[in-house]
Amino acid sequence: MAILAPAAVKPNRPVGADRLPIVNHGAALETTALAIETRGLTKRYGSIAAVDALDLGVRRGEVYGFLGPNGAGKTTTLRMLLGLIEQTSGSISLMGSKPGSRETLVNIGSMIETPAFYPFLSGHDNLKMLAAYTGAERRRIDEVLDQVDLAARARDSFASYSLGMKQRLGVAAALLKDPPLLLLDEPTNGLDPAGMADMRTLIRRLGDEGRTVLLSSHLMNEVEQVCDRVGVIARGQIVAEGTVGELRGQAALIVRVDQPQQAREIVDEFRGIASIEITGNTLRIAAAVDVAIDGAMVNRRLVEAGIAVHELRTDRRSLEDIFLTLTNEEVRHAS
Amino acid sequence: MPADFPGPVKAEVFLLRKRTSTSTILSIWLVVTTVFAYAFPYTSYRTGSNEFAQSFDSMLPASLVQVMFEGIPFYGGSLVLSLGVLSIGGDFGWGTWKTLLTQRPGRSAVFGAKMAALGIVLIPFVVLAFVVGAVASTTIAIIENAAITWPSLASQEEAILAGWLILAVWTAAGVLLAMATRGTALAIGVGIVWGLAFEVLLSAFASSVSWLAWIVDFLLRANGYSLARALMGASGELSTDGPGTFSGPYVSGGQAAITLGLYLAVFLGVSLWLLRRRDVV
Repeated sequence: MAILAPAAVKPNRPVGADRLPIVNHGAALETTALAIETRGLTKRYGSIAAVDALDLGVRRGEVYGFLGPNGAGKTTTLRMLLGLIEQTSGSISLMGSKPGSRETLVNIGSMIETPAFYPFLSGHDNLKMLAAYTGAERRRIDEVLDQVDLAARARDSFASYSLGMKQRLGVAAALLKDPPLLLLDEPTNGLDPAGMADMRTLIRRLGDEGRTVLLSSHLMNEVEQVCDRVGVIARGQIVAEGTVGELRGQAALIVRVDQPQQAREIVDEFRGIASIEITGNTLRIAAAVDVAIDGAMVNRRLVEAGIAVHELRTDRRSLEDIFLTLTNEEVRHAS
Repeated sequence: MPADFPGPVKAEVFLLRKRTSTSTILSIWLVVTTVFAYAFPYTSYRTGSNEFAQSFDSMLPASLVQVMFEGIPFYGGSLVLSLGVLSIGGDFGWGTWKTLLTQRPGRSAVFGAKMAALGIVLIPFVVLAFVVGAVASTTIAIIENAAITWPSLASQEEAILAGWLILAVWTAAGVLLAMATRGTALAIGVGIVWGLAFEVLLSAFASSVSWLAWIVDFLLRANGYSLARALMGASGELSTDGPGTFSGPYVSGGQAAITLGLYLAVFLGVSLWLLRRRDVV
């Protein structure tokens, strides 16, 4: 159930930002239930805050979409989670341990930005090298190459790989340790449509196996298809968090009638109506977040009152609309 | 040392073995050793030319240690400096630091594995140079019907160890340059200029500018040659003729060994400090 709690999520949000559909569940969870937890995480480069007091909570066993435009701070956050860069302030807990520690790294598989491997080694030899580093069993190399459908080209040099093949090898390397936590930074980048579909299926399956996956992406449909929950980041801050359904909110009901004012009075009697807008003969009826409007019941009551209903349909905002609203709103506030 | 350290070391040795640059540098080193220590001097001897004139005895197996030591601190050092630069700087160029550092061992262990692997790979550099020198000098002795006598086993072992130490210091210098510049091009440029030009010029001016002698005592080349000279003892003197040769001032063998050891520790220590404190982007 979605809970409107903007102040609890971002106490330092700009004035007016509390109109945005902020949903937060992480703050209410026990720390032990979180695979990833950041508090006030900040990374500054001079006067520029790449990540600004980020509070992130990823539950164990969920696929969490980290959604944001280019330059929002996604990759910087992931680098801090892996201990590649040090935060300016704030705290990070990964499965209860510090980022970059041996205890943490043994539990994390990752792919950050473009996969980086030795170009003169084959895909198989690159994984063989990483297996020696991680202590992974040799059989895992063939298993993960099969998982990402790269076994046929495993003996070719990495330098000869297409971008999509490099991405697959990056994901294979992330899976090598058979880790309970995966951090994947735009893993479908460069893949063809079939490859993207396969990769999304793989990520969803990894989540279904009980692994925690933090999936950084700027592709709405990808996040929508794969993720249990989504956090939207803009200018280094989480501006919304929740399930895709929660972020999209309940569908509004669009009703075109011959007597809009009388229709409004009737609809207003329904429980949980958040707002009713009238444009010409059309009513746009929005429900509260946790309430569904029964369109059939609305239709019956209007007809019983002698109002002619010419059109009745639902209207739901796309994740893309929400994303653009959230991120543009942040940009407006910042400027 | 972490319990799982051998795995990363094996991985890094495997990597160095697969890198073309390693075999290329090793090949150049062996060719240069053969050509400048034996082929040119022998040709010069046979033709009676004054160029590369060297005593005939220095081309025979008995002078193997002396001949090897003339090359190791000079072009040997510059070549392995490139090996150090490429082994560390390449990871910056390919972005593979992030791949390695997000595996299990942690930054110090990754760096330790890379350094251990470089140390292992330097062994064939020294040993093969001695083998090539042995083959070349034996060939010359057979052609010229000269006596084949070898330096004592102990002196050969000492020479191999000292040669390894000298090459290790130059490799570590390359590692530090690559770590400081986060790449290869500038590091190799600075390293080669330092090794082949700056140290040579400082040594050349030391005889006429008195205060430079004090600085020269701490140069890599001076300490490398000083260690070599001390190990040769009564068996011979280093040549002072020809390109790149060193004519002093020398320091004692003990001081040279300590100075080189300190250089090795400082170069590696500063490199590790840089790796640990910097963000990897």
